[in-house]
Amino acid sequence: MKQNRNLIISGIVAAALIASLGMAGCSTTAGVEATGKTSWDEQGARTLEKNVVFNSSGLKGDIQIVEVKSAMAGDIMRAQATLRSKDKDTLPFQYRFDWYDAAGLEINSGAGSWKPLILYGRETKTIQAVAPDPRAKEFKLKIREPD
Amino acid sequence: MNNSMKAFLAAVAIGTMALSGCASTMQYGDAGSAKPISTEFGSSDLQQIAEAMVDSMITFPPMVELTSARRPVVSVDSVKNKSMQHIDTESITDSIRAKLIRSGKFRFIDRTTDDQTVEELKIQQDSGLVDKKSAVQFGQQLGAEFLLTSNFSEIRQKAGSTTDVYYKFTMSLKNLKTGILEWSDEKEIRKVFKRGTFGG
Repeated sequence: MKQNRNLIISGIVAAALIASLGMAGCSTTAGVEATGKTSWDEQGARTLEKNVVFNSSGLKGDIQIVEVKSAMAGDIMRAQATLRSKDKDTLPFQYRFDWYDAAGLEINSGAGSWKPLILYGRETKTIQAVAPDPRAKEFKLKIREPD
Repeated sequence: MNNSMKAFLAAVAIGTMALSGCASTMQYGDAGSAKPISTEFGSSDLQQIAEAMVDSMITFPPMVELTSARRPVVSVDSVKNKSMQHIDTESITDSIRAKLIRSGKFRFIDRTTDDQTVEELKIQQDSGLVDKKSAVQFGQQLGAEFLLTSNFSEIRQKAGSTTDVYYKFTMSLKNLKTGILEWSDEKEIRKVFKRGTFGG
């Protein structure tokens, strides 16, 4: 009888493990964040301050941000990021660009949408976005695993 | 299988159900979520199309030049929906128009509210309630210089348990005076659904 009880307890532990695995499968990590901020050097030329933060070790093993670039189309800021898959399999991701004005306030806060992205094994791919209006001086690219 | 083994499995099953939760849930979702639910046209598809069209249009070099000094007046034509689905295509063009207005590059006229406009002007002119000096006169609205036209089509293929749907949205900006298409672009979306062995 004692053995039975032990088995039931270990069964509950196993169930907890299975359930936690199931829950972990549903959660989405914050993933990767890459920012690009417009600034001007002494000569008055436009430069871009870049910063890449990995919040997920899983994504860090899958994806690499090779390059972050920006250019202007008239008075509208454009952004491009070059991504490289470190995996040999095809991986799905989602990404979005958020835009900020010169004061660092977000433009159209919360209005952005996630876009699907498929990276084939070891593939290098560029993703682009265009600022919603001429106020944008800074962008933040977020990449995550599909929700 | 002995009794203790059965007890173990039952505990696993009951525990899994209890901990993962079988109850229905209701919660707010992310309006910008890109999670596909089916191969039908969804909210993320609409957002992707609207963003792709606006990004392409406002960065196309002749458009950048055209809009650098002035904000051209544009009218939006209804979408020619050639897909099998009933889609509120006006919602797609509404999103595109809103984004273009917010970019500060274009101005729009809206023919869908003309009836209300005429009614309001008639009241201003004829009811005797409105001061003649401030009453808006007929025939003073601006004419559109460009017409934004669009086509939406769908190719659906089904083989065995796989459904493959390809959507294409094409948009053009027509110069109403010259008839020239000043800009055009398309957005393609592919959605693939594979039915699992156990339904669903």
